Parts: sequence; structure tokens; C-alpha cells
Amino acid sequence: MEFPLLFWGVLAWMIFWAVAGAILIKRRYLAQDLDTSNASFIGAMSGAALGPVGLAAVWARTPKSSGYLTTALGLLTVLIVAVTFSFADPDNICVTSGGFVASQFVNGLIIGIIYGFMALGLSLIFSILGVVSFAHGEFYMIGGMVVYFVTAVFLPGINPLMGVLAACATAFAIGAIFERLMLTPMYHGKIDRPIEYGILATFGLAFTLQYFVQALVGANPVKAQRFIEFPRWRFPAEADPIWIKTSRGSMTLFEQVTISSPRFTAALTCILVLLALLYLLHRTWTGKALRAVSQDREAAAIAGIKPDTMNMLAFALGGMIAALAGALLVQAFSWLPQVGAIPAMRSFVIVVLGGLGSLPGAFLGGIMVGMVEAAGTGCVPDPQKAASYIPAYGMIVLTLTLLLRPTGMFGRRFASGAHGQF
Amino acid sequence: MTTFRLLTATAVGALVTASAALAADCPIKIGGIAPLSAPGTVVGGEAMREAMLIAQEDINAAGGVLGCDIEVVIGDSEGLPEKGAALMEKFITQDGVVAVGGGYHSSVGVASKDVAQRLETPVVFAETWNDTITGDKQKYIFRIAPLSSWASATIWQFALTVPGVEKVAILTENTDYGIPASEETARGLESGGVESVTFSVDIGTQDYAGIVQRIKAENPDMIITLVTGEAAYNFTQQAADAGIGPLDLPFVTGQDALESGAYWENVPDGQYAFVQRIGVPETEFTDKGREFAAKYKERMNKSDVESYAMEAYDSIAIIAQAIEEAGSTEADAIVTALEGIEHNGTLGKIYFPYGTGKDPSADGKGDEWWHQWPDPALTMIQYQEEGQDSTGAAIVYPDAYKTADPVFVNQ
Repeated sequence: MEFPLLFWGVLAWMIFWAVAGAILIKRRYLAQDLDTSNASFIGAMSGAALGPVGLAAVWARTPKSSGYLTTALGLLTVLIVAVTFSFADPDNICVTSGGFVASQFVNGLIIGIIYGFMALGLSLIFSILGVVSFAHGEFYMIGGMVVYFVTAVFLPGINPLMGVLAACATAFAIGAIFERLMLTPMYHGKIDRPIEYGILATFGLAFTLQYFVQALVGANPVKAQRFIEFPRWRFPAEADPIWIKTSRGSMTLFEQVTISSPRFTAALTCILVLLALLYLLHRTWTGKALRAVSQDREAAAIAGIKPDTMNMLAFALGGMIAALAGALLVQAFSWLPQVGAIPAMRSFVIVVLGGLGSLPGAFLGGIMVGMVEAAGTGCVPDPQKAASYIPAYGMIVLTLTLLLRPTGMFGRRFASGAHGQF
Repeated sequence: MTTFRLLTATAVGALVTASAALAADCPIKIGGIAPLSAPGTVVGGEAMREAMLIAQEDINAAGGVLGCDIEVVIGDSEGLPEKGAALMEKFITQDGVVAVGGGYHSSVGVASKDVAQRLETPVVFAETWNDTITGDKQKYIFRIAPLSSWASATIWQFALTVPGVEKVAILTENTDYGIPASEETARGLESGGVESVTFSVDIGTQDYAGIVQRIKAENPDMIITLVTGEAAYNFTQQAADAGIGPLDLPFVTGQDALESGAYWENVPDGQYAFVQRIGVPETEFTDKGREFAAKYKERMNKSDVESYAMEAYDSIAIIAQAIEEAGSTEADAIVTALEGIEHNGTLGKIYFPYGTGKDPSADGKGDEWWHQWPDPALTMIQYQEEGQDSTGAAIVYPDAYKTADPVFVNQ
């Protein structure tokens, strides 16, 4: 970095006013007996983005601040950091190469969509059952393993879609059986400490699945073939730069942004399945019943909904979503029985970041983590540190978010047994 | 009278052997460290485990040691230093091993050697490269793997022979293997006037999309991978997807590519990759090497034998010979025997010229030569055909072992 003092100086200024804003605006809200859940966040963003001027304006106009204003202040803060960085490190590749920035942006977006999709399953389970599933990574692993064994070992040459469907069916069945056998007793007063029981039971499932698969198939890395191989194509054929160029394993946009076939198919499928899931939740009786249980279990039961069935369905669906993410990524990454550990950890981060039990929060949290990781990997000046800190980038965002908004981006306070609302 | 002396000597010999056997608890236990779970290199760990078990079978079939069978107690290090240290402690204090062989990850070797030294138990590390493992000159620590600095030298010296290389991108894992290896490689390249840029990642990283784009933006003429396990597979294939893989520019991939079945399954676009290999080509194997390779291939249903499997086998076999020569399972006696040993192993004649009897400095050598086998052969191979076995791949460097000229895809 050419001018580190400039960058760290501006950052220190922003942090100082963000901390001051978080404390002062919260006190202001308290003094006026207002809901303080968003106060620290508004104060911090106004202080970070506009310094004492912004802070004074928010102070004077309390409580006339909207979600739009907060979002705008947040985006302005990010923009100021980016502009300062560009002045402080003018030779950084993130400043000098638009093509590189575009490629990192697309990479972050694609992997973020997949992260968010996987976290969605975890959030769905938590919002209905109130249980954090520690077996989420193992469902992800099972999904990939089933696809590999179906498409490469048992029925080589079969359409990969069959493998994906088999993975979904397997995970759904495991989830449903496990929930019925192990988690249902939690809801009938048979367990003294249901929360702890739920955590331990899913931990047990995680270990069982992981070591069962290892005993069954070994621990050598495996990988499925690409589901789709692009035909060689250039469009427009004579243009400079060529807008779209495809080769067997990847697609290049404007000769700058390369997207591999496995990532492209995985992200596209995640978006399509997300839309289908939203349709299920918002347009069908089953989805409405799931949402009803997430809001108020007893009231839903009075309305004729069977909460136990919804619990089973939610756990099975959540596991299936994780398995689908794994089924789509086994063509991109080498697969082992332990492959789910890192994605599961990342899902926990995303779910807490987005707000426990919030499906939009989980999805947007995933995209945010993906983008932050891509920005960190691409722009941190020291190449020896850029990729080493990948796991830390998400944690930094999580820590900052929880400091300013303990319920996460879209989280709500728990009330009367409800664990979230999607 | 001569007959009487002969009978007496035979009787005394038998008595000594029997009493030694009685002194030792049968079976004699030897620890075997291998990474059998992620984030360790499971491919390498499974190969080493089977090799050590074959060593156990061979030794027991030949009559065992001090009249006892040996039992190789396999432990999973997971490739993590804290697990490695705990495993070493367990081997010695709970399992009652008299010595330990195996070991794959340098970070595990670095962490566990101090435990073995403290508990005064001899260790012959098989595949841990970090120079400090022997460089600390600890009495109970031996190694048959090459030093990291030697291994790195082979790679950078080879890189300097590649025509048109002015800038090299190095991807390394931030471990006790990767960090020094990347520093040594960068220094070596610099000495030859070649610029390098090093990117480091966590062990077990899966997604390299961002870092691959960053490497691509550096526009390197060659890529060197100093990453172990499936992480190297992931990186190599993702680089290939982005147009900077082995089919696009000279590309040294991780050593686990020697496991050719897994390599081709995980890196379908991995043709023309270069891989470092320890040990001579199969055509020059010793009798013991050939015998082991045949058993190993049959048992593992593989068409090739990896160098780390051979090292693992030798690490157990050399301990067994040392116990036999020491006539005891007592640690100091084993160390003395190891310091004077000449073991005809699968990798060649193994010996340790420097130790308590002769300090490396006496010959102007660095401390890392302490209890270090000086002669492991280091070669670079290239997969010149898709789906090729590693033992059938062309040896392209150094000239002493060369079987074919390298193919430089960008020429």
C-alpha cells in the first residue's frame, strides 16, 4: 500500500465516529423510550459515513429514520472505504483493473448464492424447530457422495439430474426419519432440556453420518464429472472483445470474467430452487402451515395444523437443501466424508449474520459473505495474506453486525416460543 | 572340543535371544502416524497405513524381532499439529510403543517430535520435510524423507530450466511444510533471475476461484503448487477451468498427484502437470522395492506405488532392524543401533551419517543433517498422457534419471 496512513487514518476516523454514533444514538433512543434494536446500527452508520455532521442530523431527527436511510448510510460507508482504498493504494489490481474487479464480483456473487442457499436450509430448520442442526454439513456431504456414486460408480453415464434427485431423496428421507425418531420427543415433554438435547442429537447425527460414510466408501477424495460441458462458441464471432466465449469447462464474458461450468450450473440451479421454495412457502397450504408454525406453534395447532408433521417436513427440507448444494458442488470440488465441516461453519455465520430464522436474511447473508470473501481475496495487498484470511472475512462482518445489531440483519426478537419468521 | 565350543556358543546365543525376547513384551509395538481424516491428506495417509501394515506382515513372516511379532499401532494425525502431538503422547504413554514411524505432514512432525524427545522414544519420520525436524538435533529423532530445502531446490532448479520463464506464481499452504518451502523456492528462483509471487492458503481450502483470478492477473509463466492433499487437486482443476492449468502453462502440482487414480478423477484437465517424486524410477527399484511394490499394488488395487508409501514401509522396517541389532527395546539402545545402521530398504541403502558420534558441523554441514538420511533421490515427473500412472510417467528432471524430455505446453 502506497499511502497506508491515509487509509488507516480515514478508517480510524470512521471507526471513532461510528462508535460515538452507536453509543450516542442508542442513548438518545433510550431517553425517548424508543425501541433501541436498530439504534446502534443507525448511529454507527451515520457516524462512519458522515462523521459529526451525519451524527448531529440523525440526533436531531430522532426517531425519523427509515430502513432506506440506514441502508443508504451503510452503502455510503462501504463506498467511502472503497474510495479511500483506491487513493491509498493506487497500484492495487482492484483499482487498476476493472476486468479483475468484475471477475471477483461475479465469483463472489456466484459462491455467495450457493452459500446463501445452503444456509437457507439451516435457517428453515431453526425457524420451525428452534434447533440448530449441527448435521447440516453432513447433509451437504451426503448430497455430493450420492451424486458421485450414482453417476460415476453405480450407473456411469446416467443423466446427472438423476443423481441430484437421488441425493435430494436420500437426504430428505434421512432428515425425516431422524426428526421423527430423535427430535419429536423434544416436543412432548419427554426431554428435560430440549435445546441442549437438540444440539447433542444433531451432533450425534453428524458424527454418525460422517464416520458411516467413511467406513462405507473410504476417505479418498472423489469428484463427479461436470454436469454440463459448454459447446465451443463465440458471440459475436468477429467482435473485439468477444462478449461470450465458451470452452468445454468454462464461459468467459468480455474476455475478463471466467465462470466454470460447475459453478454456473450450481448457482443457476440454486436460484431456480430458491424460487420454487418461495412458491412453496408463500403460495401453497403446506408452506403457509410451515410459516404458521414458525410464528406460533400453539395457534397453528388450534387452526388444525399438525406441528409435528411440519417439524418433520422442515428438518427433511432443510437437510435436502444442504444436500442439493452438495450435489451441485461435487462437480466443482474434491469430495471427502469431512467436506461438510467448512461449509457448515460458514452456514452458521451466515444464519446468525442474516438473523436467526430469517430466510431472506440467510440468502442475503450468504451473498454478503461471498462478496466480502471475494473482495478480501482480491484486494488485500499482500498476496500471502489475501487468501489465508478467507475464513476470517466472514467472521469480521459477523462480529461487526452483531455488535451493532445483535439480532442480525433481518432477525427479530424471539417471542412466545417462536424462533423466527420467514 | 571345537564342536563343544560351537554348541556352547549356540546355546548362549539362543539364551541371549530368548532372554531378550522375554525382556520385551510381545508383541513389540511400534507406532505408525498417518493422516486418515481431513484436513489431513487422506490419500497419502491411507497409502502410508497400508504400507506400514505390509511392513508389519513382512517382518512377522520373517520371524519377527527379538523372537516377538511386531504390531504397528496406526494413529490418525488428521494433519493437525495438536492432534499429532496428542497422538504421540498416546502412543508412548497409553499404547506402550517402543518407537514410532510414519508421519506425513511437516507440521505434525514439528509438533510431535518434542513429545517423543521428552518421553525419550525413538522416531523415524517417513515423509515430514521441514528442516527443523532434524535441525533441532534431538537425540531420539531420525528422518528418511528429504529435507524441505532439498525438495524445494529440485523444484526451483527445474523451473530455471523451463524456457521463457520470467515470472512464477507459487501457491503454498501456510503450514510448517508450505511456508519454508515457498520461501526457499522463491529465493532459489530469485538466484536464477526469475521473479516470483507467493500466495498462501489454509490447509484444506476448497474454493480457489478468487485466488486463481488473482494469480491469472499476475500473468505468470509458470505455476508451482506447494499444497498437499485434495486441496492441490482442487486448485489444479480450478486453475485449469480458468485457463491457467497444466494444459495452458508449465504447472507443478502437489505431490499427491502421484496417486494417479485419484488425480485423474479429481483433475480431469491435469495432463502435462509436473509432479515431484521421491525415489528412483521403478525400473531402478531395489529387490526389496520391487517386492514391496508388487504387494502394495495388489493390496491397494493400484497400478503405481507412491514414494510416501515406500518411505512409510522403510520407516517401520528400519526400526525393526534397529531393535533386532540393539537386542533390546530400550530407547537408548535403539538410538545407538539407528546411528550405526545400514538398512537395505525399498528406497535404497538407508543410513544416518551424522548424530551423537559425528556432528554435521564436522563435515561443514548444517544442523538439519543430524539423523538425516542423505541420499533420497528427488525427481520431477510429467503426466504426458491423459490417465497415465505415476510410475509410468516420464521422468523429466534431473538428467541422471531422465527418461523423456519435458513437454512445455506454452512453447
